[in-house]
Amino acid sequence: MAHDRCPHLDYRESSGDEEFETARAYCTVVDSFVEPMRADVCNARYGLDFGTDCEFYEEPEQ
Amino acid sequence: MSYESYLAGDPVVVTVALTGGVHGKEANPNIPETPEEIGAAAAACERAGASVVHLHARRPDGERSFETERFQRVNDAVRDATEDVVIQNSTGGTGAPLEERRSSLRTDPPPEMASLDMGPLNRYQHLTSENTRHTIEELGREMRERGITPELEVFNNGHLNETYRLLDQGIIEEPPYINLIFGGGTTSPPHPRNLLNLVDGLPEGSPFNVLGFGPHQLPLTTMAILLGGHVRVGLEDNVYYRRGEPAESNAQLVERIVRVAEELGRPVATTEQARGILGLD
Repeated sequence: MAHDRCPHLDYRESSGDEEFETARAYCTVVDSFVEPMRADVCNARYGLDFGTDCEFYEEPEQ
Repeated sequence: MSYESYLAGDPVVVTVALTGGVHGKEANPNIPETPEEIGAAAAACERAGASVVHLHARRPDGERSFETERFQRVNDAVRDATEDVVIQNSTGGTGAPLEERRSSLRTDPPPEMASLDMGPLNRYQHLTSENTRHTIEELGREMRERGITPELEVFNNGHLNETYRLLDQGIIEEPPYINLIFGGGTTSPPHPRNLLNLVDGLPEGSPFNVLGFGPHQLPLTTMAILLGGHVRVGLEDNVYYRRGEPAESNAQLVERIVRVAEELGRPVATTEQARGILGLD
């Protein structure tokens, strides 16, 4: 895998009217904030691989 | 632990799982994530009747952390904010290697208790919290070396087999404190008859705790009170107070189960009583 984190992962500092002190993980495929445990997959931590361990991952268009 | 314990009015230990590591503020903005938020939540729950706090650590962005330093900050914040609660650190960690999962045992001082998963648990579509026998035994040995009492996490009835195996091997001491877990996936199917069967199969003299995920938190913990067991509530396991109504706080969930226990005639254990029941003296 060429990426060390999922290309669909975004970190956002707000949700609607709510501001976060620290930006939180957001998945642009499912358009929602990511559960903390899933974020380890998005960030390829502990040997997890977003290409195989995430059911929402999509190959980016070339 | 039995119906006779209920009839005798034995105290019930209330554990609160304050934060967890699976979901966060995206599921309910009232979930405490920072050490300061977790400390404040622990204090409110102690005032409401909880004597044990089950803890995870997070990064500043709410994601999971297995670093000893972050567990230390959470433990320190809880100790600073509370009068006297039992600290129980999690050693769970889907996808995380054994060395990461040991980190929560290495705070100074060590936690009085730590969770010890008894076997595999599926997560999502591709993940499994493997909890191999090697991992479980290594964590159990380190807990014993550090004087930490394990809470055995029995995700389903097959994990009682593993509990007996660990007892036979002398890795855990008798009587173990067992947490019976009910919900979806590979946890025990949440039904009263399954709780009865699991309680029937417990090692002789083992105190037990009940954890029900989501809508099963209230009915199955209530049933645990009637069966002489103990209870775990909190936003790690259930983010709603009732259907469609997000819980306002961990303390709100503690207050409810305390009312239930007292109405049913079981007083809520003080922390001193909880230490006696859990063998922490």
